[in-house]
Amino acid sequence: MIKTLEEFSMLAQERGPKKLAVLAPEDEEFMRAVKDSWDLGYIEPVLVGDTKKMEEVAEKVAFSIDKFQKIPQTGQQAISNLGINMLFSGELPIASKGQIPTSYIYRSIIREEAKVGSGMTVSVISFWDIPGMDHLVAFTDTGVNIKPGVKAKAEVIKNAVFVYHLMGYSRPKIAVLSGQREVGGTLDSYKDHEILIKSADAGDFGECEIVPATSFTDIFLGEKNCREGIADIQGDEVPHILVVPCLDTGNILCKLDFFLDVTRSSLVATSKGPVCIPARSDFSDNIVQQLAMCVVLADEMGKREQ
Amino acid sequence: MAHSFKDILERARLGGTKRLVIPCPEEKDVLLLSEASAARLTSPCFVGDKDAIKNIVDESPLAEKEYEIVKENDPQLALSRALEILHGHDGDILMQGGIPAQMVLHALHDKSRGMLPKGSIMSFVSVFPLLKGEKLILVTDTYINSHPSVAEKQQILTNCLKLARILGIEAPKVAVLAAIEQVNPGIPSTLSAAILSKMSERRQFGDAIVEGPLDIDCALSRTAAERKGVKSIVTGDADIYLVPEIDTGYLMAEALVFFGRMQMAGVVMGTIKPVILNLPFVSKGDRLVQIALACLLSKDGGSRG
Repeated sequence: MIKTLEEFSMLAQERGPKKLAVLAPEDEEFMRAVKDSWDLGYIEPVLVGDTKKMEEVAEKVAFSIDKFQKIPQTGQQAISNLGINMLFSGELPIASKGQIPTSYIYRSIIREEAKVGSGMTVSVISFWDIPGMDHLVAFTDTGVNIKPGVKAKAEVIKNAVFVYHLMGYSRPKIAVLSGQREVGGTLDSYKDHEILIKSADAGDFGECEIVPATSFTDIFLGEKNCREGIADIQGDEVPHILVVPCLDTGNILCKLDFFLDVTRSSLVATSKGPVCIPARSDFSDNIVQQLAMCVVLADEMGKREQ
Repeated sequence: MAHSFKDILERARLGGTKRLVIPCPEEKDVLLLSEASAARLTSPCFVGDKDAIKNIVDESPLAEKEYEIVKENDPQLALSRALEILHGHDGDILMQGGIPAQMVLHALHDKSRGMLPKGSIMSFVSVFPLLKGEKLILVTDTYINSHPSVAEKQQILTNCLKLARILGIEAPKVAVLAAIEQVNPGIPSTLSAAILSKMSERRQFGDAIVEGPLDIDCALSRTAAERKGVKSIVTGDADIYLVPEIDTGYLMAEALVFFGRMQMAGVVMGTIKPVILNLPFVSKGDRLVQIALACLLSKDGGSRG
């Protein structure tokens, strides 16, 4: 069972290098992450995009890319399509976004999933490594669905459960989050919780459990209706997967790492392998971490296929 | 300018003792109000079952202090009586007490006996001191409005700006949060954020700088914002975070408390007189700060924006 992001990094060194389609690596921070991941033995990059731009940025970060395969391609959607197709055709086990808007990548993934008829939808899983907590906590969907209804949330849950199973958690716990409180009537997000908890009980999402809690107060305080103080806050009961009500909430909550003592790492799970989607504000060490996670999950998926 | 909860408590003390009206108080309320009396913040007026309240008070440090009990055994009538006292200028602050929050909000909305001026809306502001103690941040609306329209967000922000100014933040910097920092017609929160930002440019919020849409990384980190091409003095230094809707607001406030181990005190804004609600995740110590916040608002003529 993988409990920390550090464990992903250690395992990535054991299980790498894996071939990685790098889509338009035209930013220094990102190319530095590719360089560091190669040096650490996580990946072997296949560079897709404008060769001249890639060479220029590689030179800036003192990374010799002569030895790697380069596939010239222009146009952001074309680069995205090509790289994601390489993943789905089994040519390589991981893809990563460089300087391409994420929406182009999602479009390519949706197209490829439809072609293979996997039934999988696209959602982003953002992990938090929280000091002192005995497991990784994931917010999802933090990147794709603007206002998911109950059907979309069901797919989001399936994707996250799939990833947690790969990480060795046999029966992950899930909270379907909501801003439901004593006032304001019943929110749609709470109604979704009520439906999804029944679906989980019926086994619709495989081995997992949706807990009754929908807010952090429920999760941390349980039946207690008042906090005594800081000391009573225990995090061990935090479910593994936190399904967010909408994109605004998901994006805002998961990026509170800028404020808090937690480390964030995100990915997209597809039926054919993980896709790394670093945010434009991520620094190279954070991108390296995300690549490590993709390497380990790709390895687990490979083992399952065998 | 108040930088911490200690500053809020000290400023409130300077404003003199306020009369706090509370319907159907519970034991924990009486204990809290004992502390508030000892701190010379408030003098309580309890409305409810006189004998039961007297028994609780007699067992508390409040027995030695000044207080009043108005007999009214029925909770609904006790709430109405509490509002009457506030309207009659015998009270400065309303505290929820043992009445369900929904019932309190409903009563506050009442056209003749409530406490909401025509055309106003109520909103809730959560105040957090940053861990390094350098400043206070305000997040709104974290409790009352579920899915506010642009017009409602304008009022929620106006309400919050009033509190910011009372806390001594002269030209508040406001981050209007959304999932992304670009204006995207497919994401409604980015549109309302852009409208509020434009209103601010036209000085419709007075001396304040409202920037939006901002995603949370741009709001919290100037470096992250610059890497995304967003240049604004709000980035990395916002005083107010205006959230898109309640799922985000309530969960964000909770996340800062539980994951960030931050202190939080909240208060209702928009009403003629300050109102204190019992949110479950506010710690005992921070509940005294909520009373102090209400005292500051009372000193300044209610919590209307």
